[in-house]
Amino acid sequence: MLTHCLFVFSPFCVNSRVVCENPLRSSVSNIFKPAYLMWLLWISGLLHCLVGAVNGAEVCYDKLGCFSDEKPWSGTTERPIPCLPWSPEKINARFILFTRENPNSFQEISTNADVIAASKYQATRKTRFITHGFVDKGDENWLFDMCKLMLSIEDINCICVDWKSGSRSLYTQAANNIRVIGAQIAYMISIFKENFQQDPESVHIIGHSLGAHLAAEAGRRTPRLGRITGLDPAQPYFQGCPALVRLDPSDALFVDVIHTDSLPVIPYLGFGMSQAVGHLDFYPNGGESMPGCEKNAISQIVDIDGIWEGTRDFVACNHLRSYKYYTDSILNPAGFLGYPCSNQEMFESGHCFPCDSSSCPFMGYHSDKFNVTKGVDKMKFYLNTGDARPFSRYRYRVTVTIDGSRTSLGYFKVALYGVNGNTRQYEIHKGTLSPGRTYELLIDVEKEIDELTFVKFIWNNKVLNPLLPKFGATNIVVQRGRDRKMFKFCGKDWVRENVLQTLSTCQ
Amino acid sequence: MRAVLVIAMCLMATALATTTQTSERGIIINLNNGELCAISAQCKSSCCHRGSAVSLARCAPRAAESETCSKKSLYGTYYHCTCEDGLKCDGDWSIGGSIVNTNFGTCIDPRRAQTTNN
Repeated sequence: MLTHCLFVFSPFCVNSRVVCENPLRSSVSNIFKPAYLMWLLWISGLLHCLVGAVNGAEVCYDKLGCFSDEKPWSGTTERPIPCLPWSPEKINARFILFTRENPNSFQEISTNADVIAASKYQATRKTRFITHGFVDKGDENWLFDMCKLMLSIEDINCICVDWKSGSRSLYTQAANNIRVIGAQIAYMISIFKENFQQDPESVHIIGHSLGAHLAAEAGRRTPRLGRITGLDPAQPYFQGCPALVRLDPSDALFVDVIHTDSLPVIPYLGFGMSQAVGHLDFYPNGGESMPGCEKNAISQIVDIDGIWEGTRDFVACNHLRSYKYYTDSILNPAGFLGYPCSNQEMFESGHCFPCDSSSCPFMGYHSDKFNVTKGVDKMKFYLNTGDARPFSRYRYRVTVTIDGSRTSLGYFKVALYGVNGNTRQYEIHKGTLSPGRTYELLIDVEKEIDELTFVKFIWNNKVLNPLLPKFGATNIVVQRGRDRKMFKFCGKDWVRENVLQTLSTCQ
Repeated sequence: MRAVLVIAMCLMATALATTTQTSERGIIINLNNGELCAISAQCKSSCCHRGSAVSLARCAPRAAESETCSKKSLYGTYYHCTCEDGLKCDGDWSIGGSIVNTNFGTCIDPRRAQTTNN
């Protein structure tokens, strides 16, 4: 009965996303909300009363221990349905090992010291696990690509954890199956420690979605686990739950989290948590809707990376962005600088700009270079990214004082030139251009141009003006976000529309 | 049980039907970068870019200074995007190039070029 109900419930969610992805995200009318709330109350209430009878079961597996479905694992408002995890045999978790000796052909290892000893695993190297989430699989491109990129910059044991038999089930079941795989990973780490003398501090688990909570379970069972990275940890059944159930700073010595889909599941179908659950919590683009995810259906599915990647993005674009940013950050740490801030409005308005000395960590792979003060956790960081690969961006504050022959309607743009090339033109202001006024805007440029040498100003409007107005920037100040450095540029001449004015360093 | 689900689905359908779409993005024109296009006029960036003659075209940002660019052509799509405002695509123009859409060049600032020539 219960399973039947849930089975109908889960495809229901998926279908509705297909129908209504964009309208849902962009606007919600007032009639809309009560209907959804009612629906939620109905379903949860219904399930709630069906629950009580089956509570209190337990299942034990060899070497992994016992798993009960008592509180807080079920019977709470967040997790109404009791459900026991499947056996390790049924889940059939595979551990796919890549090292520098075999970067292209993987080896399969298991929780068996002899199998590990016979593989290319070496205890002197760091070990990084990557695990996927709901409905995904471990031999998916993104896990392999991430392994290969990490191997290109460091010598590690990279283990992709595949648990597709356990993830392709009802959500409730998958959300409980992760406890078994977490226990298996913890058991494997204990083998690393006892048979090969690898310290758990040199082990890192990267988990996407449900995989983030899977990593948390492994971390809870492993004292002094080095690091857990949660890539958009799953929201349903975890948000608001006690720390035992979900990812939490206590699960490892260092926990960093990237939030990319943090709107509520109902009604926005956001799959990720908004709650801060790590030492460092990054909210790129505000953490709710990612640029490049609002494309029309055909453009989204017929993706540059193929139809399969496009279909994945069509279903859960925001949710999947988390591992794309993470993969990008491996080779390019500086392009993902996070600014400490309390929310996206403050970040956009410039209150959190620029960085104080060493207060900004890099989002993603290199976030562990940041010194976390002992006892401090759930620090929130904001940054913006691009809408397609490469996602890296560099933030500047541009302050422009303009002068001209008369007030006119139009827009103006500024391009930055440095010793390392130049950026595109970024629109600073659109509307009335009044001589003598100063305009200010924060921009995220696509290129690291290093020390600025000059800037260019250009203005234009869409209407013909027979009075032939001229404008020029008298003063442009550019402040670099990462180190607060100010670059000042001066200009004297005025230019006609659509003509570039070059401003050089003030004398 | 089934009745409840049917009612829930109906509620959801009503909710979806009553939402109004107020987004600024377009389907035919005013396309964002990354969306499929047939001609450049559809794109916000006014560049419909394709990687090769057989690949699909998508809207892309225009070329910044010192990047490779195409001169304006009548085809409507480009292998390299046209230059940003105020820049000129400096390169050789040939009839052959204009037929196969390969009149490429480099974006330069015409004013800066004058001053350096003087």
